[in-house]
Amino acid sequence: MGDALIQLFSEVLDVDAAELNDNTSPDNLSKWDSLAAMNLVAAIEDTFDVRLSTKEIMKMSSIGLARKTLQEKNVKV
Amino acid sequence: MTVTESKSQWRKHLQGKTEAMPPAPHVAVAGSMTAEPIEPYLGTHLLSKGFENPHITIAPFNQLQRLCADPASVLSTENIDALVILWRLEDMFPELLQRFLCGDATAATELMAETMAFVSALSGLREKFSGTLIVSTPPYPSLPGFDGAEILQPISGSVLHAEILEQWIKNISSIPRLHILDLNALLRKTGAEKAHDARKWHLYRQPYTEAFWHTIGTQAGRLIAAQTISAKKCIVLDADNTLWGGIVGEDGVEGLALADDFPGSAYREFQKHLLHLHSRGILLAVASKNNPDDFYAAFDSHDAMVLKREHISAFEVHWDSKVDSMRRIAEKLNISTNALVFIDDSPKEIGEVQDRVPDVTCLLVPEEAAYLPDILRGTDLFDTLEITDEDRKRATMIAAEDSRRTLQSGMSEEDYKKALELELHVFEAAAQHVGRVTQLINKTNQFNLTTRRRTRDEVESLMQSPTHRVLGMSLKDKYGDYGLVGVCILEKSNDEARMDTLLMSCRVLGRDAETAFLAQIAETARRWGCKNLAGTYLPTPKNGMVKNLYAQHGFTQVDDSTWRVTLDTAPTLPAHIKAALDIAA
Repeated sequence: MGDALIQLFSEVLDVDAAELNDNTSPDNLSKWDSLAAMNLVAAIEDTFDVRLSTKEIMKMSSIGLARKTLQEKNVKV
Repeated sequence: MTVTESKSQWRKHLQGKTEAMPPAPHVAVAGSMTAEPIEPYLGTHLLSKGFENPHITIAPFNQLQRLCADPASVLSTENIDALVILWRLEDMFPELLQRFLCGDATAATELMAETMAFVSALSGLREKFSGTLIVSTPPYPSLPGFDGAEILQPISGSVLHAEILEQWIKNISSIPRLHILDLNALLRKTGAEKAHDARKWHLYRQPYTEAFWHTIGTQAGRLIAAQTISAKKCIVLDADNTLWGGIVGEDGVEGLALADDFPGSAYREFQKHLLHLHSRGILLAVASKNNPDDFYAAFDSHDAMVLKREHISAFEVHWDSKVDSMRRIAEKLNISTNALVFIDDSPKEIGEVQDRVPDVTCLLVPEEAAYLPDILRGTDLFDTLEITDEDRKRATMIAAEDSRRTLQSGMSEEDYKKALELELHVFEAAAQHVGRVTQLINKTNQFNLTTRRRTRDEVESLMQSPTHRVLGMSLKDKYGDYGLVGVCILEKSNDEARMDTLLMSCRVLGRDAETAFLAQIAETARRWGCKNLAGTYLPTPKNGMVKNLYAQHGFTQVDDSTWRVTLDTAPTLPAHIKAALDIAA
């Protein structure tokens, strides 16, 4: 399965997992638009069974930052 | 299916899609709010109903006024089969709601006027968009001032919403081929607190939780699927521990649980729900393994019974297998076994029916009696967009058919036809007939000379065409009204009227109604200034019964599929049928 978070981004954004890494952000991936962001939040909450605050959501401006936010909430990613 | 399952199934569907597959159906969703989250739920519901390649487009949010005025500026509506519009008062008229909450007395009137203007805009959209239109009701506003939670708050918010809702439904219902998605009712069922997600509203202008989008998407999918998927027509009920608690053969009539206290209350409530479904035109039948005497003693004389004999279209009460009962009921009601829903408390009976008549939908009575009344609650089995008068009268017609059978026994065919006192009426189809005419055109297989299927729109445009006439035929006898049971579409060219479509429902065969119908069609052609009447027979695997119809009525064959008769020698009315003709000059 590999990296569960990369896997999730790959599925929701419909981008090959090999093209994604912690530096991936809306700035370097056009498919990560505002609608994709909404779908990502729904998928993250669903998959990792967490509830994100708006502050946390707004902080997640790259895969690495999403990972950090989730780790702070004790999700092992 | 859960939220997660729907999403993953939909993702797989999108990945497996190729450009070559035509969308079937193509659904567009336009919302006063961000509506993108509906996609996987609407999509997977359509997949579960057998649609192969649903394709969903979401219009940019909060552009509904523009969409109505100029659809092309928001969406390319060209190949869209259905357009779903979801809207909320707080998105479309936020300032007016704010003024209303702050005590501005004129705001309520203005809100009503704006809402009615939106109805007019939708009726404009109806003219420009030819597909199916599905429009939501405005859900109860999700604003703190509308909560009713503050004890001193006036209840005027509830009254305002109720008034707007009432006027909205009343006015929107007059727009043709528009179906209502009751978003307000869905919100009430889910509960405002479970349906809303304030974070997503502020971040994305998207007010709802994934769970509520799941509910909305499923409902929209049901409305779309109901256009093409035929609804179940009959509920077949077991008796012991289904219609009542207990076993009548063992417990006796007095010992049955059927009353206003539990557990009898559950069975009574279930019967009440069945009676409600019956009033919508769904047939009821009983299949019970019992001694008939025991069964009828309970059914007829238990004073807490809600259902009476008049509500039941077929009884199969004996010790034969329920498989046989299913087949006999379908045969008697002249419907296919796939139109049956069978409810029984015995897993063994359910299993046997499932094995041997797999197209019957089977439901097992829940172990918890309190859940029995809900077994059909919210079900999509009976989903239909239009309940025609014929649907409502079906049960009465089946009862009349029983009386006819009694009359027929011990009588010659000729005497029987006379004794029925048949009256046939042929008339120009008008707006109120379009639903039934379209239904007959699309489902009649046997007595159908050309089997040309047509959409409601096509039928409506033929009714307007100066070179066509759409005729309806209704029939009644002394036992009752068969309703609208025949359709003929005539096309005139020069001095010939050609029967583009000629069909009759199978339930009126064997009464010479077809001869009377042809006589009235000939008379119509005559009054239209024609000299000849022509008919077409296009054979199908199912319409063999009418291959000699034209020959039997004096028509001469012209080529492979065409038959013609001059109107001087056209069929005349049989003596035992009284006929009327109502056509415009």
